[in-house]
Amino acid sequence: MESKLDGVVEEEETRKVQFDASEIEYVSYGGEHHLPLIMNLVDQELSEPYSIFTYRYFVYLWPQLSFLAFHRGKCVGTVVCKMGEHRGTFRGYIAMLVVIKPYRGEGIASELVTRSIKVMMESGCDEVTLEAEVTNKGALALYGRLGFIRAKRLFHYYLNGVDAFRLKLLFPRMESHPSLPLMANAADNQRDNDGL
Amino acid sequence: MDPKMDSGMICKYYSVDEAIENGAAPIPLSFDRTVDVQCTIDIMDHLLSCEATWHRGHSLAQTVFSCIYLLRPDRTSSHALLHSYCSVIRATCKAVIAVVSDARTHEEEDLFIMAYGLPLTGDGDDKCLSMLNAVEETICRQLRACKSPLLKNRAPEDVEPLQNSFDLEEHYCRALLCRLRFRKHFYHVLTCMRRPQGRGLELARKHIASCLLELDLIRNSSTFLSNNSFGKDDSEDTTTASGRQPLGFDSSLNCRLSAPTPPRAIKLLSWKKALDYFVKLLRDLDNICSYSLDTFLEGVFRFVVQFQKSQPDLVARSLLQFLLVQDGKLYGRDPLYAVITKAAGLPESAKNHENLKNQYIVQLGQLVINLLRVLCTNSAWQRRKLGKILQDWRVIYMQMEMAFKKDIAEIVSISNGENAWMKIFQHILIWVEEQTYWISSRFLVLGFELELYSPSDYCMVYWYLSVVLIKLVEKIHLRALMNNETGKRKGKKKGASKDIGKDFRIPPAVSFLQCQVCLAEGLVMMLAALRNEHMIAQSPSPFNSEYERFFQHFELLQKACIPDNITYDSYEQSTRLARISNLVTYNCFKDAQKIAKELKSSFSNDPEKLVELRRIEQVAEHNSVALNLIHKVGGLDPSLKISFEFNHHPYFGTALVKRS
Repeated sequence: MESKLDGVVEEEETRKVQFDASEIEYVSYGGEHHLPLIMNLVDQELSEPYSIFTYRYFVYLWPQLSFLAFHRGKCVGTVVCKMGEHRGTFRGYIAMLVVIKPYRGEGIASELVTRSIKVMMESGCDEVTLEAEVTNKGALALYGRLGFIRAKRLFHYYLNGVDAFRLKLLFPRMESHPSLPLMANAADNQRDNDGL
Repeated sequence: MDPKMDSGMICKYYSVDEAIENGAAPIPLSFDRTVDVQCTIDIMDHLLSCEATWHRGHSLAQTVFSCIYLLRPDRTSSHALLHSYCSVIRATCKAVIAVVSDARTHEEEDLFIMAYGLPLTGDGDDKCLSMLNAVEETICRQLRACKSPLLKNRAPEDVEPLQNSFDLEEHYCRALLCRLRFRKHFYHVLTCMRRPQGRGLELARKHIASCLLELDLIRNSSTFLSNNSFGKDDSEDTTTASGRQPLGFDSSLNCRLSAPTPPRAIKLLSWKKALDYFVKLLRDLDNICSYSLDTFLEGVFRFVVQFQKSQPDLVARSLLQFLLVQDGKLYGRDPLYAVITKAAGLPESAKNHENLKNQYIVQLGQLVINLLRVLCTNSAWQRRKLGKILQDWRVIYMQMEMAFKKDIAEIVSISNGENAWMKIFQHILIWVEEQTYWISSRFLVLGFELELYSPSDYCMVYWYLSVVLIKLVEKIHLRALMNNETGKRKGKKKGASKDIGKDFRIPPAVSFLQCQVCLAEGLVMMLAALRNEHMIAQSPSPFNSEYERFFQHFELLQKACIPDNITYDSYEQSTRLARISNLVTYNCFKDAQKIAKELKSSFSNDPEKLVELRRIEQVAEHNSVALNLIHKVGGLDPSLKISFEFNHHPYFGTALVKRS
């Protein structure tokens, strides 16, 4: 169960829509009526093929981890995740993240995925993982800003033959690093670290 | 249907027989003999594309065995040319699968060897070379005949022309000959390289040279073949020299056989790219065959690391692994305990010590074999495995150290024989530590090659690398001193030397590493100072801190206590106070430059090391200049943008200073 996360690539500026960030409405997965919206977006934008059973597996078992972004009633982005035990750790997993091209570059993907990660953290996850194509600079930069590291490179991971990075975000363990404050809003005024 | 959702199950025919009944793979390919030859060449070319695509990671069933002629070995027997070609293709695939599955390099690449239900062995495939030779001989005669009409007149019944058009005869003969000869030599290359103890390497090189020659001829034949082709496709993606679609292929046929095909249609490499692939493969194989079977383990490691720099594909890597490890011995020749004693710098006599059969040495030999295998895998897999085996090296070190201490305590009155064993043991202990640090440094360096580090990680990675390299330097130095001491003692017996270690000089290998340490330390301090003075971008994560990133990057090293007592706090403390002004006064880059310059003469016979020294010098020089520039204008110019590039060295970054 993996996905090319090219939903956050910001290269193709096709018919860019002008909008204010406050116009975007974020909604937690609310039931079967949201499913066609999610499927439509993912099928459009990601490289891996998924069947309806795959979508149902995620949104039925972990509805609290899926979010949708709407602009004036139109669904423009979504995130689909899961969490569970993995080799002795409780691990969150980001399966799909998509924002349609005209809405990219405005922080919608960051907001969507941040919401999911927060729920994972509150649910007691130790870490969050996902895979991204090594060529997907947009996704890599986004997750880099959120504190993910590239833990592994997976050789010929995707069906299209491209390698993947396994990205990992480790949450602080209070007992191991008690002095650490949770810096939820500290990032706002800092310069972007992509350029280094 | 959305092509992503194509499960690959939609096929034109339900079985091979149905395809054949419908005329998908006629024999002869045409009753017009010229067309028959043209079509045969197309099949040969398309098979080459299929073969290269298979080597690059697709299934055999979807590539080479999409050829209906290959799937029914008996059917082609009436067509000597096609039959011999199909036969050598099957034999070659079988040989290549044997190499890869024996080598066990295929952990992530296991699709390669899956061939259940495919007719890998046709009746008579074992005689494929004699069949090929016979066909080659016939075409040679046809070529001679068309070149000298006199000869043709003399014995017309003997030499029937290849096809109908006299003007084209020579070209078609030649186009076929190079294709047949390539197959023959390639099969020989595989057989020679599989001979035990590297005995066939020299002969393999000759066949490799012939293969490359034939590949050139094959490439050149495309002008003639495409000029005499109708219904061709001129695109770059074409899988034949003529540009035509070949007869007799259907990649969807096997989806109902037991051989697995991924649930998606694949794109084959073009014919030109397939030729390029084989040229690269043969060059990599030539590189292996020209290797001198170094008896020093350090030299073996160095060769493998160097070999991997050209990013060889699975087949070449498997053949290298086969050469290195056979029957649990190095090259199938040198027992591991002997290899280890030699690597640890012990004298020849040490390898006859009976204690070398003890469990630790046997285990250590197993670790060395495992390490050699891991070094032959693709870099992504290699790095993960190196990280994991560090634990094993650490554990065996600790076990050996404990055993050593116990033995020392037990043997109060050391007899001469036991004393000698203690010496051997001590040497090996230090050698084990040295290897552990070498593996660690390789693990860290591979992270750059695989692009696992983001710019905000560079500082901690260089810091860890420098810590590991310092330890490695220590161990190499210590071992050199011990060897020197042993040597001197021996000398002393003969009355040659008076003072142990007095005239001991730092070995060039140590200085070489010191040079890298200086460069790494320079980068750590530069990056830390830039961070501390807010001159490079930092964006703290909303969910965790640098501590978590440090822990994740170095978890495997930390778990194996490599090195002891190294924590995030040590990193934090050693970089906290770095400032640009201090760095200008004490400039590590200058030290690196100085050592590199001095070292060149020590490595005048080692072009590989010289290249590395030159690169180190370049990085050091650039960074030194950058540091001065930043010091002069940095504080005054807030628009200064500093980034790091890898244009001079694969893992030591060069600072790039720009005004934004």
